[in-house]
Amino acid sequence: MPREAEPSLNEREFIHQALREQTRIDGRALDAFRELRLQFGDERGVVDVRLGKTRVIARISAEVVAPYPDRKFDGIFTITTEFSPMASPAFEVGRYTSDEIILSRILEKAIRRSSAIDTESLCIIAGLKCFFIRADVHIIDHDGGLVDASCIAVMTALQHFRRPDVSVEGENVTIYSLREREPVPLSMLHHPLCITFSYYDSGEIVLVDANRLEEQTREGEVIIAMNMHGEVCQISKFGGTPVDALVLLNCTNVALKKVQTITKFIQRQLEEDMRKRDVGGLMAELSAENER
Amino acid sequence: MASSILLPGDTIPPSALPHAKNPSKPLTLGPGLRHTPPLTITAHLAGPLHTDSKKNAIWVENNGGRYIPHPSDLIIATILSSHPESYTCSLSPYTPPTLLPHLSFESATKKTRPILLPGSLVYARIASTPSSTHLTSSSSSSSPETELECIHPSTGKADGLGPLKGGMVWDISLGFARELLKKGDGVAGIEGVKRFIGEGRGFECAVGRNGRVWVDAGSVGDTVRVGREIVEADGRRRGSEWGRGEMGFR
Repeated sequence: MPREAEPSLNEREFIHQALREQTRIDGRALDAFRELRLQFGDERGVVDVRLGKTRVIARISAEVVAPYPDRKFDGIFTITTEFSPMASPAFEVGRYTSDEIILSRILEKAIRRSSAIDTESLCIIAGLKCFFIRADVHIIDHDGGLVDASCIAVMTALQHFRRPDVSVEGENVTIYSLREREPVPLSMLHHPLCITFSYYDSGEIVLVDANRLEEQTREGEVIIAMNMHGEVCQISKFGGTPVDALVLLNCTNVALKKVQTITKFIQRQLEEDMRKRDVGGLMAELSAENER
Repeated sequence: MASSILLPGDTIPPSALPHAKNPSKPLTLGPGLRHTPPLTITAHLAGPLHTDSKKNAIWVENNGGRYIPHPSDLIIATILSSHPESYTCSLSPYTPPTLLPHLSFESATKKTRPILLPGSLVYARIASTPSSTHLTSSSSSSSPETELECIHPSTGKADGLGPLKGGMVWDISLGFARELLKKGDGVAGIEGVKRFIGEGRGFECAVGRNGRVWVDAGSVGDTVRVGREIVEADGRRRGSEWGRGEMGFR
């Protein structure tokens, strides 16, 4: 049975002492994120997110299925997380750690149940046909901040994804391939993101985007999911010591600023990717001229 | 004395083999090489080929993988638990534990031995490994575990080994740790570290071959600065993305 590496007493004490002096071991400010990098795949809906050394890949796929009988007018949207043993030897295939359960629940609450995707728009024929959108999250490297990175990955991938266009004539459904009709983006109602706060000294010191070592030495965490308009989608706190309400209130203010910057960053990256894909626009595509 | 870069599967030409001064000395193959009788030597790791004509040895320097204990290596170990006769220590995560007898500290007796809590750090030397016990006559133990010691076996002096108090530990690559601990760099690789840090700062440090560096520079800020400089030097040396991005000072 693999054993997770426990930080030594020296490391614990040093990290605490450094945080009391407002210093982090990787030289960041207490409320600074690590460098965020997004890389889009050739296919639509594939995003590779790197947050420092943490790396997460999200992939969106769509297929046509029959909707659930009790939800005839809704499409289906699921998020699946997979912890690969490549990310950390602590992860084993087929054995669910509490990290994995927490991650999938948080993503479920923050993205699916806050109805970031308009599932009604995925319905093709009520009760007969609907789109089944599936988000697969693969953890490739684990250096803390999995919840934040996975949430960014899923949200970016959903915005990057294009589903095939459909037309309905009576009972006949035509699904157009990529060549026949331009695929359409998913209809999103809002863009929630998760921000994890790690706290020490029962809320005296609050950190944003802790790395693995800081996660192992913290007293507890508060995960806040929020969209850029400041609407809180969820607050989770699993275990740990109690935190003062005012500290929590302050956390939501910090979270709002972080969510706004990250959302803008994602938008910029998506626009840049659009420009890269759209070489010459529609005119280039329609032109019959050959390159000489 | 790196002559060429090898990839797994490459055969080593006879011209690359060291020319030993003493022809009766057999050729020693180090890590990353395997011998296929009668005369073929192939690499099974990627890296630069190193030769030593004095020792008539040849090996591939590879900066990867997990630390494998080897007798007389200096390492930084974490205490896991205490038993009647010895401590159980971990050298690197997800590897079998090692033993550190209570009496292998300087001037330790049954009553004066150092009391170490789980999670404490010790700077120690590897006394014996399961595979080496039949080779070294000095170690009488036949335990199936790797054994550590914090004293010089013949003099009984600590020589800088023992519990590490305070400070911070940083993880570095195994190749960099080996480079810091090169012969002629004094005890604990401090000279090696100084080459990368530059002069003008006082700090204590200990380099473990298991890829860990312990640094104590007095204050938190200085310790962080020295530690991060070491980690950065490691990143630059590897030259990949490990040295990029968030590693920069702010």
